[in-house]
Amino acid sequence: MDAALSRNGRLLLRALFVLVVVFLYAPIVILLIFSFNNSQIPSFPLSGFTLHWYHEFLRNTDLRAAIQTSAIVAALSSIGAVALGVVASIALARRRFRGQAVVSALLLAPLVVPFVVFGISLLLLFHTIGIPRSILTVVIGHIVISLPYTILVLVPRLAQLDASLEEAAYDLGAGRLRTFRSVTFPLIFPAIVSAFLIAFTTSFDEYAVASFVVGTRETFPIYLYSALRFPSQLPQVIAVAVVVLMISLLVVVGAELGRRAAERRLGEIEPT
Amino acid sequence: MGGGEGRLTAGRRARPDLTTPGLLAPPLAWLAIFFLVPIGIVALYSVNVLDLLPEPHAFTWSAWHSFFSNSIYLTLFWKSVKMSLIVSALVVAVAYPLAYYLALSGTPRKYVLLLVLIAPFLTSYLLRVLAWKVILGDQGVVNTFLFWTGIRSAGHPISALLYSRFAVMLVLGYVWLPFVALPIFVSLESLDTRLLEAASDLGASRWQTFRRVTLPLSIPGVIAAFLFVFIPTVGEFITPSLVGGASGYMYGNQIVDLFGTGFPDWETGSVLSLFLLGVVAALTVVFSRFMRVR
Repeated sequence: MDAALSRNGRLLLRALFVLVVVFLYAPIVILLIFSFNNSQIPSFPLSGFTLHWYHEFLRNTDLRAAIQTSAIVAALSSIGAVALGVVASIALARRRFRGQAVVSALLLAPLVVPFVVFGISLLLLFHTIGIPRSILTVVIGHIVISLPYTILVLVPRLAQLDASLEEAAYDLGAGRLRTFRSVTFPLIFPAIVSAFLIAFTTSFDEYAVASFVVGTRETFPIYLYSALRFPSQLPQVIAVAVVVLMISLLVVVGAELGRRAAERRLGEIEPT
Repeated sequence: MGGGEGRLTAGRRARPDLTTPGLLAPPLAWLAIFFLVPIGIVALYSVNVLDLLPEPHAFTWSAWHSFFSNSIYLTLFWKSVKMSLIVSALVVAVAYPLAYYLALSGTPRKYVLLLVLIAPFLTSYLLRVLAWKVILGDQGVVNTFLFWTGIRSAGHPISALLYSRFAVMLVLGYVWLPFVALPIFVSLESLDTRLLEAASDLGASRWQTFRRVTLPLSIPGVIAAFLFVFIPTVGEFITPSLVGGASGYMYGNQIVDLFGTGFPDWETGSVLSLFLLGVVAALTVVFSRFMRVR
């Protein structure tokens, strides 16, 4: 007898699973359907197929500029967060030092601070020391937000790595920097890519903090938020939404598959 | 390898590169300047040492005093806490059986199914909220579908669908549901299934096994899941501002409005921010041992 689930229980839970997945994906499918709907207002009955809204948004220069801004912000902030995350993770996973618990709590603290509070804190900082708001101030905020995620991805990976590989490199006369470059870095590379992707998507989608520290150059979420208030923009925004949601779903699935393939390959060359 | 390790450590210490302080300095400096100092500045604003207006100002607890004596903000805070407690409880209640199914049913595709469940969480937050705006409005998908099929007459949409407390809670639940399954799944998956077999061999029914063995062992995951939803939703302002209207207005919206362009009051806004931060920090400290879920 299966101690966890009866046959009926299994069927019931499977049905619940399907139901929840439908609930989760239905709104996305509804957006997909209405993005092709030939009407200004997304409502039933459907009034014919059109690609008009996709053409509209491809021609919309403000929107393209906002996407470009967000891509720059996301690239800069994820490079920054990963760089800080790698050094912090090596210290946390490989070194023993006094106050380790406090340091680790501080590094992860941005995870639990409400974004509205953090956004306002940054706003007050920049206001007080007289730094004008710009995309750089957004990058600064996004590095703080993404840093804990990169650490959460990198530390377990480093902990999994056999430290004797690094010790072998030291024994062979490599310095710490050299060991990192030739041994540690290639071995944690898949995790670095995951960390980068998580930081990138976090920044690309971040509205709350950006809304307080953004200057006149709008990021994509800021643009979307303001566009949501104009009904005339709604159909295009739906088309954009569909494209963005599809790309991010593909990236998520692709990243997961890539990470697994890479770790399987690395698993083969690692002593276990 | 005791002796060898000693020699290695000595060798490492001799090298100047990548020392522990050297590794920790950049991330800690970044967080000190752009995370801790800003919160300190909020504290200075909350006691009027710093102020938006250039007029002379001096230290005073008055904003804190009026926050605690005036019931408006505390009532609003309590309303947000209730909304977010309900959302967190419902979402955990739905996610638990799903995580249980994935972790313990022995289905060969559990990681694929888990990814299917979590993937929506990793897509745009704002756009998922937008989807519900399209679905719930008076001229939205649900109402016009009801008109079209004749279930409701065209002049009478169900207005309470959008711009209501219900809409805020539905959307928050929708947004966080995929994510909470994860910590519960992790705690159930790491469970030693031999314990379940042992319970069953000793004559426990499945229900008894669940109540006496599985559930108690998965409580850390449940508490983590609960907090992972509660902490971000209690200070939420984006969803309520998009789908909440007046009745869905939350504490986070109040904070934003105090720093907004209408009638800015940074002193009171700072008090509200720090109070929220204090509550969240206290919860985190009290429950921190449950939150170490990878």
